[in-house]
Amino acid sequence: MTIELLEKLCRLNGASGDENKVRDFILAEISGFCDCRVDPLGNIIAEKKGASAASKKVMVSAHMDEVGMVVTSVKSDGTLTVSPVGGIDPRVAIGRPVRVGDGDICGVIGAKAVHNLSADEKKTAPKFASLYVDIGAEDKAAAEKLVALGDFVHFHSEFSAFGDGFVKGKAIDDRFGCAVMIDLIKSELLYDCVFTFVVQEEVGLRGSRTAAYSVDPDFAIVLEATTAADIPLASGEKRCCELGKGAVVSHMDRSTIYDKELYRLSRETASENGIGWQTKTMVAGGNDSGAIHISRGGVRTIAISAPCRYLHSPSCVVKLSDLEDCERLARLMLEKMCTM
Amino acid sequence: MDLEKSIMSLADARGVSGDETNAAELALSMLKSYTDDCFIKNGNVIGRLGCKGAKPHILLDAHIDQIGFTVTHITDDGFLKIAGCGGIDRRLLLAQQVTVLGRKPLDGVICAIPPHLETDESNVPEMEDICVDVGLTKARAEEMISLGDKIVFSSKCEKLQGDRITGAALDDRCGVAAVLRALELVKDKTLQCGLSVMFSTQEEVGERGAKIGAFDIEPDIAIAVDVSFALTSDDSELKCGKMGGGCMIGFSPVLDRELSQRLKAVAEKNDLPYQIEVMSGTTGTNADRFSVNKNGVKAATLSIPLKYMHTPVEVISLSDVENTAQLIAAYITEVVS
Repeated sequence: MTIELLEKLCRLNGASGDENKVRDFILAEISGFCDCRVDPLGNIIAEKKGASAASKKVMVSAHMDEVGMVVTSVKSDGTLTVSPVGGIDPRVAIGRPVRVGDGDICGVIGAKAVHNLSADEKKTAPKFASLYVDIGAEDKAAAEKLVALGDFVHFHSEFSAFGDGFVKGKAIDDRFGCAVMIDLIKSELLYDCVFTFVVQEEVGLRGSRTAAYSVDPDFAIVLEATTAADIPLASGEKRCCELGKGAVVSHMDRSTIYDKELYRLSRETASENGIGWQTKTMVAGGNDSGAIHISRGGVRTIAISAPCRYLHSPSCVVKLSDLEDCERLARLMLEKMCTM
Repeated sequence: MDLEKSIMSLADARGVSGDETNAAELALSMLKSYTDDCFIKNGNVIGRLGCKGAKPHILLDAHIDQIGFTVTHITDDGFLKIAGCGGIDRRLLLAQQVTVLGRKPLDGVICAIPPHLETDESNVPEMEDICVDVGLTKARAEEMISLGDKIVFSSKCEKLQGDRITGAALDDRCGVAAVLRALELVKDKTLQCGLSVMFSTQEEVGERGAKIGAFDIEPDIAIAVDVSFALTSDDSELKCGKMGGGCMIGFSPVLDRELSQRLKAVAEKNDLPYQIEVMSGTTGTNADRFSVNKNGVKAATLSIPLKYMHTPVEVISLSDVENTAQLIAAYITEVVS
């Protein structure tokens, strides 16, 4: 995967329910390499022809949406109240630049000056309900000319490579998965398979549910970014997984107990091919597997994830070597599952 | 001079208290448009203009430093431990993007206890629990970064609606811009007073640059051009001015009342919008240092209303900066010995 592709995807704003820009970009990227359709919820279902027909139908899935916010009211002073779309810790929203609405209007989530905080206020992070977005509008009327209730608000942060082989930016969860699928679709595959770029993962695994219903696969591979806590304040198993140790192959999270045979096969395939892999040391998080593996009569599912620090913040951090490990493992597992 | 561009380039320059070189050199280069007699001494950017030796000798001051952090330790896994330079709001640090001013500028991200291990989202991390992730091993971090290197928020200035601008170091680079704009306004006039300009170091850690700068400059009158609180819905009208309402003229027991009145009269005479900022004691600005310099100096504050002070997304109105510059220019033009 090229860092340029990941950067382009991460720069697009697409909170759950507002994935149009991401979808349009992906459709343009994969057009000509597969047969695509968009389902009623907005999922892209892309059927890719390989060199031969597959004996089993495999669906590879990643979600297009990212966490964000939605405008709930305009206050008399022209600032906007917002609710989180997906899980956002209010402490990563306060004091940030944002973009509002389809026109990506510049705004900020400010904070009362530290000089004017009481001792208690200094020690207590504000709740989401007390945060507001300032676009510089002088009053309510000025704001209402530019912003409608229900407009989406996105984090605005720089995507950049930093340190030795790391990148940071918003929405790496799960534009990383989208980038891998774009690569796979544009490459020559051994077998026919189906790729789904799904909506609304962050608000309850909703797009993947209808996509899996339509595709009706035998197997599924979910490509994701998952919480890594390999930072000084966490030790031992609390780190969950670590950057630089390779693809995260899950055995269980809060949404899914993964197919035991596929979990074993993933580990063996990684080891045989010199691909770094690890599994999470806590049962934490969840992803579209939760909806896909119980679709219709059941779908045998694995998740291959990039370990990611500061998930759901404007500054997700991943390591490029892990992204490469994930992509290599996904390609090999796809080939194996097509002929199981 | 394009005021908006000047504010944005000044606020995007880097200058944490104690290491203001980048911002100070930019301010010095801008000051050179108005006087050749300018230099940096002990961190302060100083320029001399006006009628040399004339009385009164007026000092226009704005501080060049911004809040930030300093590197105190590199952990075994290459993360940086830090301490604050100036008043830091720890509530908003998690996952902030920062720039470490090491051997070259390095990107980093602030981290503390991760969310899945945090039982309470209202917890504010202690400074000792905060680290900066620079994506380097300890050995590589030690190659690139020295203890004592400074760190700034990475956010860049952007234009909001109307004439509003957001950025990380508008406190007090917009004050620096206001002083430069005032010099622009009077550049073709012959001033009757002595005039010095100072863009002072280390205001955020206790107005230290102001103390040593004023000692050398020996002004009769000193005006601290800084920022003050613009009202937001979560703050008190008693403490805050109005954004877009013009320059805030300070009245305080520690300021020279006659000078404050005079500035107010100049604003009225020139139809400049202004607001009165009443403080009941020290002002928290460089004026507190100026007034007790040597045998005493008549001091005033002119403040630009600013929202979200000390966050990476401070907000100002361009008109307030322009009006502050107009007020300064009108005042120094009409002062005669």
